[in-house]
Amino acid sequence: MTRAPEMNDSPRSQPADDWLDALLRADGRDHRADYLDDDGFTARVAAALPASPAALPAWRKPAVAALWAAGGIGVAFALPGAASDAAHEIIRAILAQRVSAGGIGTALVVLLASAWTAVAVVLRGD
Amino acid sequence: MAQPQLSDAQLIARVVVHDDRNAFSDLVRRHQSAVRATLRRLTAGNHALADDLAQETFMLAYRNIKSFRQEAQFSTWLYRIATNAFLADARRRKEDLLGDRDLELTTEGDDEGAAPAEAAGSDHARGATLRIDIDRALAVLSDAERAAIVHCYHNDLSHEEAAIALNCPVGTVKTHILRAKAKLKSRLAGWESQ
Repeated sequence: MTRAPEMNDSPRSQPADDWLDALLRADGRDHRADYLDDDGFTARVAAALPASPAALPAWRKPAVAALWAAGGIGVAFALPGAASDAAHEIIRAILAQRVSAGGIGTALVVLLASAWTAVAVVLRGD
Repeated sequence: MAQPQLSDAQLIARVVVHDDRNAFSDLVRRHQSAVRATLRRLTAGNHALADDLAQETFMLAYRNIKSFRQEAQFSTWLYRIATNAFLADARRRKEDLLGDRDLELTTEGDDEGAAPAEAAGSDHARGATLRIDIDRALAVLSDAERAAIVHCYHNDLSHEEAAIALNCPVGTVKTHILRAKAKLKSRLAGWESQ
């Protein structure tokens, strides 16, 4: 006896005596059993994939860095005396500072306090 | 020693994180047969069109693989993309492929209730004849009905999985199946006594 299909039937739970159902299932089994050979399909898909940003040449970054460095050197040579003047002024300003044991001690205390605070913040974050 | 085969999820992770083309090729190699066979059924046996749509399916899968949330199987997700590609293409060429096939079917002698070939003595011949008759019968279904039958019977998906593949509610899948089977019953009536 053939049971009328119900709306809540899953295709896997249909009665086996439904001839159309059995027919479609038999065809479905054959369909799944047939493996289609690749025949170059995967290669065609791989060849058609869009170019990856990672595929850019490896020398690109060093070349850009070298260009920037060359530019910087060029600017330094284009302004004769400016770079050495600036360096001399910085050194003079540092040497003009009065250095005392108290000043060094204060600087050390400030540095240690900063380091301890930074470590405490990082550990609390973890 | 042979390397253990990676799962779909592991291959997908490689593609997403490292843009690993070899991992994606492994996925294509693993699923190409099922996707191409499904599209051959959906396109009523047009192998060239099916392969074009299969290629489009994998290209779209590659572009959108980051959006794959692993809520369904990867194969079901591929079926969804393939079905969308097929339906979009069918809309574009609605007046030629299926229209021509419908005309062909009605002019080639109205074989409603096609009987299995008498010569179909062996199981192999019977299977081949059945496949031809089912292909012809599937061609008279609407695109959505055919897709529902192909996913539920040929790909053995549940109604829920078919709903994901067809991008529609489960109730709509059931309706498509019922309507499709009503049409197929009359087209394949000759097989009832087999």
